Amino acid sequence: MRKAQYAMVIDSAKCIDCKACVVSCKVANGTPEGFSRNWIKASEPDFAAGAKPRTHFQPGACMHCEAPICVDACPTGATYKNADGIVMIDETLCIGCGNCIPACPYGARFRNPQKRTADKCNYCPERRAAGLLPACVDTCPTKARVFGDIMNPESDAARLLEQHKDHVVQVINQKSNTAPHMYYLASTAPVDWTHEAVMPASMATMTGVVDPVVKTLVGLSGLGVLVMLGRQLLSGHDSSHDSSHDSGPDVHTGSDVQAGQAHKQQTDKE
Amino acid sequence: MSEGRELKISRRSFFKATGLAAAASLSGGTVLGGLAPQACAAVAAPEWESHFSACDMCFNKCGLVARVQQGRVVKLDPNPKFSKSRGMLCARGNAGVAQLYDPDRLKYPLLRAGKRGEGKWKRIPWDEALAMTAEKMQEIRTKYTPCGYLFSAGADMQSAFVSRFAEVFGSFNVTSHESLCLISNNRAYLDTFGEVPFADVINSKYVLMVGANRFEALVTPDSMDLMTAMREKGCKLVVLDPRYTKTAALADEWHPIRPGTDMAFMLAVINVIISEKLYDAEWMAEKTFGLDQLAGHVSQYTPAWAAAECGIPADDIVRIAREMAAAAPQSMIYPGRRTSDYEDSTQIRRSFAIANALLANWDRPGGLLAARAVGLKGVPYDPPWYDDNPPDRVDAGLVPMMFEHEGSFVLTRDAVLKGEPYPLKGWFVYKTNPMATAPNRAKTIAMAEQMDFTVVVDIAMTDTAHMADLVLPAPSYLERLDPASGLQGSSACACVVVRDPVVNALYESRPVFDILKDVAGRLDLGEYFDFTIEEYRTRQFAELPDAMEALRRDGVYYNPSKVYGLYEGKAHKTLSQKIELFNQRYADMGLDPMPVYTAPAKVPNNQFRLVVGRNAYFTHGSTQNNALLHELMPENTLWLHPDAAQTLGIADGELVEVASSVGRGELKASLTKGIRTDTVYMLTGFGAISPGLTRIHNVGASISALLDDKVDAISGNAALHTTFVTVTRKVAS
Repeated sequence: MRKAQYAMVIDSAKCIDCKACVVSCKVANGTPEGFSRNWIKASEPDFAAGAKPRTHFQPGACMHCEAPICVDACPTGATYKNADGIVMIDETLCIGCGNCIPACPYGARFRNPQKRTADKCNYCPERRAAGLLPACVDTCPTKARVFGDIMNPESDAARLLEQHKDHVVQVINQKSNTAPHMYYLASTAPVDWTHEAVMPASMATMTGVVDPVVKTLVGLSGLGVLVMLGRQLLSGHDSSHDSSHDSGPDVHTGSDVQAGQAHKQQTDKE
Repeated sequence: MSEGRELKISRRSFFKATGLAAAASLSGGTVLGGLAPQACAAVAAPEWESHFSACDMCFNKCGLVARVQQGRVVKLDPNPKFSKSRGMLCARGNAGVAQLYDPDRLKYPLLRAGKRGEGKWKRIPWDEALAMTAEKMQEIRTKYTPCGYLFSAGADMQSAFVSRFAEVFGSFNVTSHESLCLISNNRAYLDTFGEVPFADVINSKYVLMVGANRFEALVTPDSMDLMTAMREKGCKLVVLDPRYTKTAALADEWHPIRPGTDMAFMLAVINVIISEKLYDAEWMAEKTFGLDQLAGHVSQYTPAWAAAECGIPADDIVRIAREMAAAAPQSMIYPGRRTSDYEDSTQIRRSFAIANALLANWDRPGGLLAARAVGLKGVPYDPPWYDDNPPDRVDAGLVPMMFEHEGSFVLTRDAVLKGEPYPLKGWFVYKTNPMATAPNRAKTIAMAEQMDFTVVVDIAMTDTAHMADLVLPAPSYLERLDPASGLQGSSACACVVVRDPVVNALYESRPVFDILKDVAGRLDLGEYFDFTIEEYRTRQFAELPDAMEALRRDGVYYNPSKVYGLYEGKAHKTLSQKIELFNQRYADMGLDPMPVYTAPAKVPNNQFRLVVGRNAYFTHGSTQNNALLHELMPENTLWLHPDAAQTLGIADGELVEVASSVGRGELKASLTKGIRTDTVYMLTGFGAISPGLTRIHNVGASISALLDDKVDAISGNAALHTTFVTVTRKVAS
């Protein structure tokens, strides 16, 4: 049962695009050259606007969605959402098939060429075990990123959400609404960069009708593994994980967000 | 920018949309025993040891915590107790690990084995290297007097030992990085307020930034505090810059001012504040000197006149002046740091300082702060006297107000090339890289060529090391024991930091202190270095009994000294003992006592003014080759306005040749409306000559190869914005 929902609440207006979060994450997680678990996107300035062209910088990473399509796309159960609401990848189960990568509307996943498994933000569990914040949050110069359990009303993240509940927004792809747990205070930009989730047809059918237990049994059957393994060996190294086929404008959701059914449970100390 | 649709939805439909209600059924946890991921498995905390230190990827010395696992630094985190940096570590700070473990690091002493600059080296043992250094220094000292040896050290916690060595060795010729950076700013504020101020950004309601780029060229705590003031306290930020920097991108207003006309803008602001009597008359009468002269002087500098000079509408100039005055004393013209731009750079900054004085913001919250007490003691020494020495530095007397201990690198270099007033034949360089940072690289190469013996102590084969006779490997900041350093973080703190080695020094690297101590011993100067760094620290802490304990506990010692009102009843260090709007000393020396505007040279047809700037990844020329930072920006490009590019037939990303009166370079063009049509820009530190910088060797273009070498007439600071360049499309060969 869900006992927490870790999330990021981001005041993107504070972001100065310094990339401290990007480098901090790369060091903490040993991400190979050319890949990153997080990013900062920038809006297009309007140079026709006189003295106010303005650029908005928007930090992002895996959004640990409430309805993660990547989980549905994973044939082995390696990608799953844990009891803290964190979408995890069990590297021992991941066979590197790559199905989850286009299934993420945010392009938050990539195939790690060293580990030969899927890779993305996992909120730095080792650091949290040491009582530290995720690397990107800890290092941020302007403290634009705030991390915490939004089911725990005492957490900074929950308090910030509550404080700004009337104008908090999410970046959502209209065709693949995964209910992301990354919340931006007030407006944010850009918002037109997500893409529609792409699911392998067989997986889509299966996950639509079959319960997860069966899905995993199929996924881990000898045949399934062989097929996926073959695909992995043939796929070589992904040189990019940046899919960019847009599908229309995304939705800004203005809403009074509250987390889950407000189970007041004890959670990890931050 | 496409606008996403704002959806106002009820709470119930929100939960429906986000599937929160159905949360449990969606989480694809599996139940296959041994193969199932352990949803609640507690991940073990890393088995690391944590050590405090101070970052050295730039000059800010932010507090950090190094996580060390099995003798290896695995992560650098911010020290949350370090208020100067507001508990943060920037991209460079995080990339310190890649500096420490960079395969490009110097590993052992290297002696030149080919022609100078050919890149051929022979590994030699330390003892031979040190003996040779002492022997060559003695040779040059005997032949050309002790002043025949030049010492150049960058900003570092051990650089004071280089100055100390130079002085006991007998040489007046010491240059620092400062004369390529901020001495004109320091000069101007010293000659206005009697000291160089700190900006109390966090308490300011209105910040005018002229050419400063605080959201990219990070200064702690100012960069963080500016955002805090803007987001949480409604502080207004107005930026004047020919380039659309990230600071401009986040500002309330950006005005792409014509380069070199900042003083015109400021004189008009002063004109408005005085003519409309928007100043605190009582405060001005009590604290300042020369208001009447100033009023007469600026009457000619009207907003309409300034508008024609700067390309900023007169209405905006008047409005900004009024807004700043209305927010005073919690408003400021941000002093900035790198002010090496024009030949009247000191006078330009004098106009900023005077405008600040009119806002009555000196020594008050939200204004400009005086230096607070930190409490470290100096460790004095009594250098010997050398009868055979010439009377002064080699660059003495060329400009009226040079800083004795910084010198002027550009003027020193000219003197070296001329051999006048006397020859300089030896060069000791520690952690500074004038080949990449000083303008007119061809002259720096010529300077290196004519040295009899150059030693460079650094962590990598920089372009300056590449031109040396002997290169000695230094440890990085994470492997060193450093003396204490006192810092002020604006109104946040006055504090002390130290560095203890976080890991053992790699390879055969040795700190510059050990090198100097050894060489001093060989030159019969051992008495001036008869201490260890620990002993030196103990003397520094003579009056701070609690400091050592605090440093062990928190990684920082704070002195709870007074922040505001330091000048109540205190005289300013100026002739009038007040804030000098009219500088009497300048008048006595025949300099303009108040800033007089000279229009910058017109940009010739089909040419552009080349301007210098920073981003958040690179410190001068020292971090471009860092693997993690290089990944963020693998090469530099030339910023060019699309209209100008169209005239020249240049498309985005095409290779162009940039040429000035002193050099040329090739790099790709980046077309952007974020730069004026008459201006181009490129980042420093690329186009390295040295093959030892494997990632940036011959990558992009070197700005130092293009910039001409004029100087500020008062301080001798380099003037880096006086260069015009042509830009031509390179036909792919």
